[in-house]
Amino acid sequence: MYIIIGDTGVGKSCLLLQFTDKRFQPVHDLTIGVEFGARMVNIDGKQIKLQIWDTAGQESFRSITRSYYRGAAGALLVYDITRRETFNHLTSWLEDARQHSSSNMVIMLIGNKSDLESRRDVKREEGEAFAREHGLIFMETSAKTACNVEEAFINTAKEIYRKIQQGLFDVHNEANGIKIGPQQCISTSVGPSASQRSSSEIGSNSGCC
Amino acid sequence: MSKIRGLPPEVREPGPGVDLGVEDGLLCQLIHSPEFNLFSDSVVFESNFIQVTKPGSWMDVYEGSTTVILGVTSSVPSLPLPNVLLMANVTWPQGQFSTWSSPDCAPVVTLSRILPLKFVELQICDRLQRILRVRTVTEKIYYLRLHEHHPEAVFQFWIRLVKILQKGLSITTKDPRIQFTHCLVPKMSNSSTEIMPESSLLPSAQPSESFMLLTAEQTSGSFSNITGRPQLTADSSTNVAIKIDNLDSSKTPLRVASPVSLKIPMRAALSHSLWEQENPDEHFLQAPVASSLGENFFGP
Repeated sequence: MYIIIGDTGVGKSCLLLQFTDKRFQPVHDLTIGVEFGARMVNIDGKQIKLQIWDTAGQESFRSITRSYYRGAAGALLVYDITRRETFNHLTSWLEDARQHSSSNMVIMLIGNKSDLESRRDVKREEGEAFAREHGLIFMETSAKTACNVEEAFINTAKEIYRKIQQGLFDVHNEANGIKIGPQQCISTSVGPSASQRSSSEIGSNSGCC
Repeated sequence: MSKIRGLPPEVREPGPGVDLGVEDGLLCQLIHSPEFNLFSDSVVFESNFIQVTKPGSWMDVYEGSTTVILGVTSSVPSLPLPNVLLMANVTWPQGQFSTWSSPDCAPVVTLSRILPLKFVELQICDRLQRILRVRTVTEKIYYLRLHEHHPEAVFQFWIRLVKILQKGLSITTKDPRIQFTHCLVPKMSNSSTEIMPESSLLPSAQPSESFMLLTAEQTSGSFSNITGRPQLTADSSTNVAIKIDNLDSSKTPLRVASPVSLKIPMRAALSHSLWEQENPDEHFLQAPVASSLGENFFGP
């Protein structure tokens, strides 16, 4: 199970929509509470279902969001490269995530809206430095162009998978956000999703940003 | 979205809420499952709905095999009122709303949204058609028609819930010395169809409602295939704006207690105090505690 966190307006819901439905919605409703998405991916030859919890970014919903960290195997911590304040708030989000989640949770730092290069307010190097300092994986993405969106979700899944192989996650405890499927697969959820796709559909567009 | 395959019925001693399909249902099972492990100590009040289009035509949004489960629960069991709204989609594999006897034909439940109730406006949109209007503060609006398999009493529960969310309860005290007298689903005695004293119902409840609940107890059963799991529930800040309109009591044999239009601005409703008391005298009423939903849903 993934959770997507970050300030309001950074594009969390758009990232989810792009990942699950391969589409971009320029105007998106403010998320309140939690909305759910899911998709099947292929990691190391295994079909894995990613169940994604899209949370509200507004400060007034923050206390609600905190209650959903528990049980997440991975988190996408998102900021907007065109809005410095969303980058400045990362520490606060990270503290929340670390405080309310498993210590083994994989956190991917995402600088979204990389298509808006002309309005860039946070250098890529700053994101990289923050990630390095806090032990996060880092990518810049564009939910609009789909650049690196696949990679962001799948690389996080790969890191979770690596931790599972290292024995850092107890896959028999579903509270860790990981559930082994009926066959061989390691899944973060159960059952299919309306938006699921086969792994063959997963393209590679790394390096597009 | 997360889904769970429903399990075959488990034989227990279900309460009337389970019989009516409003307690321990598919949604409850899903969010209490290890996968979600959410609100595990809180009861879930839930019903199946058909999503319909805007007023006027009431066309079904989805094909016949898809229903929507709407439920309320509490993030903390000791809260006096529910504070969480849950929405899930259900795909029924063999015709509409079939009961199932084996996992092969179990419905697939997909949790879609969890919303704090204080950011949701619930309305009784069409009393005769049994349609609820769910509107979020972001202006996302759902029109949901209660599934025909639910007895009328279930919609009465939703009407009651809407009222409670608007007005709060007359008693929200945490003092354990005070007998709490409210319930949503009345508990029947073991030996007969005797219903709880009227005092156990909400102050606004009318005799017709009680009759409806009694009738429902006697006619329920189509939902008894869901496991029973009595738990706690309630909530605090259920500051929800409620409007009841299209309540044409003259055309229905089941009169609604307050068939008036209660249009309350959402922001105003958010400031509603749960601690206000409609009728302080009720503190001294004593009645048997109702079902698991009743005893915990609306009181400590």
